[in-house]
Amino acid sequence: MRVIVLIVATIFALAFDSSVGGIFTLRSVGSITPLAMPVLIVFIALFAPETVAIIVALLLGALVDLSPGYGELEGGAHLIGPHALGFVVTTILVLKVRNVVFRRRVFTIAVLTAGAVITTGATDAFVLLARGLLPWTPAVSSGGFGDLLKLIGTAIYSGLLAVPLGWCLLATIGLWKFHSPTGRRATWR
Amino acid sequence: MSPASWLGWTSDLADLVRVPVTPFSHVGILITNWVRPAIDPSDLPTDEQERNELAIAERDHYRKLWTAQMLRATELADQLRELQALPSSALRNPQPPMNVQIDITGRRSSDIAGSLELKLARGTSERILVGDIAVIGQDIVGRVSRVGLTRAELHPTNHKDIGLTRAAIIPAHPAAGRSPLLAEIIMQSTGEAAMIAEVPATSGVQKGDLVQLDDSSWPRVAAGLTLGVVSKVIQLDEAPLRQRVLIVPRRRARDVSRVVVLGTGAEKNQ
Repeated sequence: MRVIVLIVATIFALAFDSSVGGIFTLRSVGSITPLAMPVLIVFIALFAPETVAIIVALLLGALVDLSPGYGELEGGAHLIGPHALGFVVTTILVLKVRNVVFRRRVFTIAVLTAGAVITTGATDAFVLLARGLLPWTPAVSSGGFGDLLKLIGTAIYSGLLAVPLGWCLLATIGLWKFHSPTGRRATWR
Repeated sequence: MSPASWLGWTSDLADLVRVPVTPFSHVGILITNWVRPAIDPSDLPTDEQERNELAIAERDHYRKLWTAQMLRATELADQLRELQALPSSALRNPQPPMNVQIDITGRRSSDIAGSLELKLARGTSERILVGDIAVIGQDIVGRVSRVGLTRAELHPTNHKDIGLTRAAIIPAHPAAGRSPLLAEIIMQSTGEAAMIAEVPATSGVQKGDLVQLDDSSWPRVAAGLTLGVVSKVIQLDEAPLRQRVLIVPRRRARDVSRVVVLGTGAEKNQ
């Protein structure tokens, strides 16, 4: 896999989530905003070698955790872990199913992206809850049914966003230079 | 899982991560603001409703505060009135009078001479000794029987543990032909509603006369304060020259929420 392509795609995904994504925000239904990074994670998990996919997911998750607005603690510190672990879990799940899905279909990327947002959100919540149980950290005060509905809405909206973004990524798949261990059969689907 | 204080280095790392992303984010924000400018909060359809709800919540909050302060002012006015009604002898007490709250817990309406608990503020227990009196205006309503750090026990004047008390009966209203001192008595508290005493049949004691304390075993400040009024005068058949008088307190501690204790204890120097 070409690292330079990954870096460019990562920068664009981070920039999209922190700026351009605001154009698509649904203000009337709880400010639901689609996310680009889960699309990239799903795309890499579908085509990259397993080890590479997991490492990339961990790194991209750490980058998201270090982005403004994610996991910020008092004093400007960032909590690295919720998205890093969430993307790793998502990648492992995609790796489990990628041999039984049509990987080159935009619809596949859209559905897996929606699932990725749900999985990442659940892992995120689990990490924050586990951290809140520790005596030296403040208990979790946010969350609830409203946040769950917002997560589901974000998942659906990100799945919709994955249709054009996934198409763009599939169109550039030659630039990524993925070396599939299963040979032509995997890329044939 | 580390405490937030250990993660300060992540803010520097986040700044480094932002370096390549910020130019693209900046362009994206410009595009976003051009395509879809941010909504002014005052334009939101729910803004007026939220402001109304906030105003109502604030109004209720300040109404509660006003009510609380009004009740507090009324309570302080009541205490001031009680202190102003004290006899001048109370001001000669070494310790200033203390307005003490009565605990209503465990108070039984059937036990008319039962003990009462007084709630003591921190640091005031040293100012009260066993035997000190509690008054309401000019009337003695009880005597302190036990003092703790936060509580004191008060026996009403008709409590049976008060026992025998020397007192004097005087006319309620000075009138011609009546002696200013009708009788000196030994009053007995029996735990009933009324206290009893015996007087000579020639003393001229009538219903409504006042019974005032005249006992050296009580604190000096209590001398001359009212213990009660004569409610009934009964001729004794077995002793034709004597009469039995029933005395009931004019004021009862159980009927009020606060009493004034005239403490005789020494206050500790801080």
